[in-house]
Amino acid sequence: MAALLTAQSSDYSQLMAYDAAIPDEADCIARAQAGDTRAFETLYRLNIDRVYGLCLRMTGNVSEAEDCAQEAFIQAWNKIAKFRGDSAFGTWMHRIAVNSVLGRIRKSKREQDRIQLVADTAVSPASIGDSGNLRDLSDAIDKLPEGARHVFVLNAVYGYSHEESGNMLGIAIGTSKAQLHRARRLLAQQLQEQGFEA
Amino acid sequence: MNEQHDDRLTTAARQLATEISPERDLWPEIESAITSPVRERPRWTPMFAQAAAVVLLIGASSGLTYLAVKDEQAVTVPVYQPEYVFERAAFGMSHNLGSDYQDARADLASRLDEQLARLSPEEREDVEKTLVVIREAIADINSALQQDPNNAYLQELLQKTYREELNVMRRVGGLTRNVMLRNDI
Repeated sequence: MAALLTAQSSDYSQLMAYDAAIPDEADCIARAQAGDTRAFETLYRLNIDRVYGLCLRMTGNVSEAEDCAQEAFIQAWNKIAKFRGDSAFGTWMHRIAVNSVLGRIRKSKREQDRIQLVADTAVSPASIGDSGNLRDLSDAIDKLPEGARHVFVLNAVYGYSHEESGNMLGIAIGTSKAQLHRARRLLAQQLQEQGFEA
Repeated sequence: MNEQHDDRLTTAARQLATEISPERDLWPEIESAITSPVRERPRWTPMFAQAAAVVLLIGASSGLTYLAVKDEQAVTVPVYQPEYVFERAAFGMSHNLGSDYQDARADLASRLDEQLARLSPEEREDVEKTLVVIREAIADINSALQQDPNNAYLQELLQKTYREELNVMRRVGGLTRNVMLRNDI
């Protein structure tokens, strides 16, 4: 019994030590708002995978996703004093990331030139993060038209509501629903041709 | 599209990874951007960078747009100084650009003269003017980076400008693909 207590006590102290090692997001936000870049780095480390994942799914391009994720964190640093915690920090970062992606796309359309070089040299993101049949789905999402892809990623992959994704993308709820329907139809066509099985 | 397939698609979409680690650490560049001492930066740097970007984009896009719509006319071809033609692909004097970029650039540059020869004098003039603008911008941004090597904005602008140069050279290749010369036969 004594041995069991000792073991439980040891587990408990390990758990406490583990808890203490996890950075407190709220504390980091407060310190970052006061200008502490180390605290902001911690926020970056806690959120980068989610932010980069979203950028990669939306752009379908590794280097564009890296640029968008970097830009999102730079924007977040500039705006962090205004963060009031009305939504989770991760959701707030997602909004900024979506804006960063949309801004970059608008800019690219004006330049009309990124396509060739980037398409030729960029690593295909299809194999990143997913395995097996999901890779096929990931590839198919990359091939969707921009509007349909953005709605599908936010709504179907990240679970945002039509209202939330419409808000982020600056489109009406009806448009978001229509784009999701379109995305599903196009994906179904693509995947049926490939004999996709989820 | 049937309902069963729709459900499978929804289920599969929820299984996709939502958290993906970038292949490289993006923090150092973010840190550099957010800790750049803005007040110590020369006032002309952001203004210069914006001006360079505007000049670059106007030059490149107007040149290429013109190529797409122009009528053939005989115009005198100006001669440009050779140093403009192959501006060194350095990165703010402290880094070199990747070997893939260097290879792609060298390959395109080696074919540029031959491809330019296939264009009409007017088209050729337009392309050369565009490249001069781009290469002057590269030289100017490199000079600015010597004074402010950690300026992320300038670094990004430089990368874009190099990319723009490649795109122009690549487009010249596309424009001339179907133009035959006498000695092609």
